[in-house]
Amino acid sequence: MDDQEQYAKLFNDIDSQALITLGVILASTVLLIIVSQRGLNWLANRLHGQVRFRVFALVPLTRLLILITALAVAVPIVIEPSLRNMVTLLGAIGLAIGFALKDYVSSLIAGVVSAVELPYRPGDWINIEGTYGEVKHVGMRTVEIVTPDDDLVAVPHLKLWDSAIYNANNGDVSLQCVASFYLHPEHEAGWVRKALRDVALTSAYLKFDKPIIVVAEEKPWGTHYRIRAYPVDPRQQFLFITDLTVRGKQVLSAAGVTPALLPPDAALDSQGAAS
Amino acid sequence: MTQRSTKTAFSPWEMVALESFQTPEQTQASQWRRSWRAATTWIVGREASERQAKEESELRKLSEVALSHWVPAIDWTSAARALSQVTEGYVDAPVVLFISPPHGGHEAVVSHWAQQQGVNCISAPTLNELTEGCLEWVERCGSQHKWVIPALERHFLRHTQGLQGVRELLERALSGRLGQGVIGCDSWTYAYLQHAVGLEGVPVVTLQALEGEQLAHYFAQLADDGGVRPTVYSSRTGQPILTGVSKDSAGGERSYKELQRLAAHCRGHLGIAWHYWRERLREPAGNGDSGRSQEQSQGQPKEPSKESSKELWLLDALAEAELASDTGDVATLLLHTLLIHGGLEDQALGYVLPFSSHEALNARLALARQGILRCHQGRWQVAPLSYASVRQLLESRNYLVDPL
Repeated sequence: MDDQEQYAKLFNDIDSQALITLGVILASTVLLIIVSQRGLNWLANRLHGQVRFRVFALVPLTRLLILITALAVAVPIVIEPSLRNMVTLLGAIGLAIGFALKDYVSSLIAGVVSAVELPYRPGDWINIEGTYGEVKHVGMRTVEIVTPDDDLVAVPHLKLWDSAIYNANNGDVSLQCVASFYLHPEHEAGWVRKALRDVALTSAYLKFDKPIIVVAEEKPWGTHYRIRAYPVDPRQQFLFITDLTVRGKQVLSAAGVTPALLPPDAALDSQGAAS
Repeated sequence: MTQRSTKTAFSPWEMVALESFQTPEQTQASQWRRSWRAATTWIVGREASERQAKEESELRKLSEVALSHWVPAIDWTSAARALSQVTEGYVDAPVVLFISPPHGGHEAVVSHWAQQQGVNCISAPTLNELTEGCLEWVERCGSQHKWVIPALERHFLRHTQGLQGVRELLERALSGRLGQGVIGCDSWTYAYLQHAVGLEGVPVVTLQALEGEQLAHYFAQLADDGGVRPTVYSSRTGQPILTGVSKDSAGGERSYKELQRLAAHCRGHLGIAWHYWRERLREPAGNGDSGRSQEQSQGQPKEPSKESSKELWLLDALAEAELASDTGDVATLLLHTLLIHGGLEDQALGYVLPFSSHEALNARLALARQGILRCHQGRWQVAPLSYASVRQLLESRNYLVDPL
């Protein structure tokens, strides 16, 4: 009899009116989330530059705010929100999570953390455990990345706890690109450096308020040159690198600079290192 | 440093150092207005977003003869005289750079200056010389006491070979080995060459931006013939912009406000404002003088003094060929490339764009069809009436833009 009274105190009387209210809250929450997510994504995809990233960052935050508000409205309808009741409820939920839904809930909590800390947001180019691509959607449990090969990869947020997240542009429009050139050791390095800088300077994709750096590194098989520069838009990164590579090869070839040729054993070693 | 408050004179030929250049009042507001206009056009359609006091269908274009009478070409000789005065202050500098935005007249101003001073113009290299990285055209410049380059944008190409010549030329010019010179340069080319070549320490001058009041006086003088001027109304508000009498009337303040809108839209550049004035000027369609217009177009211009009550209308400056906000990368890259080169021929596009000549040509054709580009002396350039929206779009997408 005492137990029954305690349970009765924990839950409010769920009459038809309460059920209708809960239904309305649920439907409104789903509707609001769908409208806000689609609306903000639609808007951001039509914007450019910094504003695009600002709007994208609002997507998970808006959803989190809607969910918190819905919970704050719905919970008092179902239970009497006293300290004792809350401790009982949270204890029961904690037990269920601990046994059955640990990873799932861990991802949900990491999703909340990601919405606040913003280690990635839609429009960012990130690398998580070797998967590189553009963040298309930050969901409640997963982050969806589209790779350069157009594969959609869903990575659970719980990777946040123990994996390094590489963010190439971090909510900004500046994303550094690297174009590599492997040259035979016998060449005039100073001229090559200037020529490669000119290749970057004459690219239509170049972002001018960021530096252009040409790095040379001597290797046993020749010289490895890298042009480090920024495209106007992060989405142009592969076109930019291609443009630098194609025109760089043209210039070097016209000047008689030959590419490095690896001896077979060195080629095998480098393949092993790359993998 | 010249302050805007000291602009008491109405002359549009105030030559200032680049760092003293100031865009007109309400330039930022004009950009917001343009964005708002684009959004409302997208939502409610073009017709509904452009509420006009006078419908465009009630107006008709002026004949070429009438246009050349009411809006004659800009005479840049006064600007050349202003340039002459400014260069006198830079006697120790081997080079003075005069920059202006597209359609801003730097080529005409420097050419006039060269004529006034009896100075030799350095000729531009050919496309082949630029693409082959040939330096013979630089050697041909030799050493002269005084020289000018009216349009520096013709002396380079954004191509690995196309920068060699202009580097050599500027290196010689800045070291004084060429003699003393004046270079006219497009403001977009200047912005690019600052990064690609380096122009630190070179004195750079430009024409100060015009406010609405200065534009009103300039256009009034332009149309003034023996004290008679047309009365120009705004099709947007129905209010007069220019009155038929020479003295300012009580409506002056309001007309300046309307022309301030135009000045802000054009960023204070006279060349672009002039194009708006010429291309957006209309006369009432039903005033019964169509026969007279035809006579005029047949080479018999009417005596202006007899046309004291001429009524003209200026169409809304903002309602012109606007670029869609979802313009793709190919079009954007093409527009930026054309601006940096001050216009280009079709055969040069393949050298400076990262896609095939076929794609470049298709994009160019599409933009020309929309009225965004126009051909001038064989070179495709951004049309004056589209310049403001193209610049705003490129700036919003983080492309390199000019300092003016």
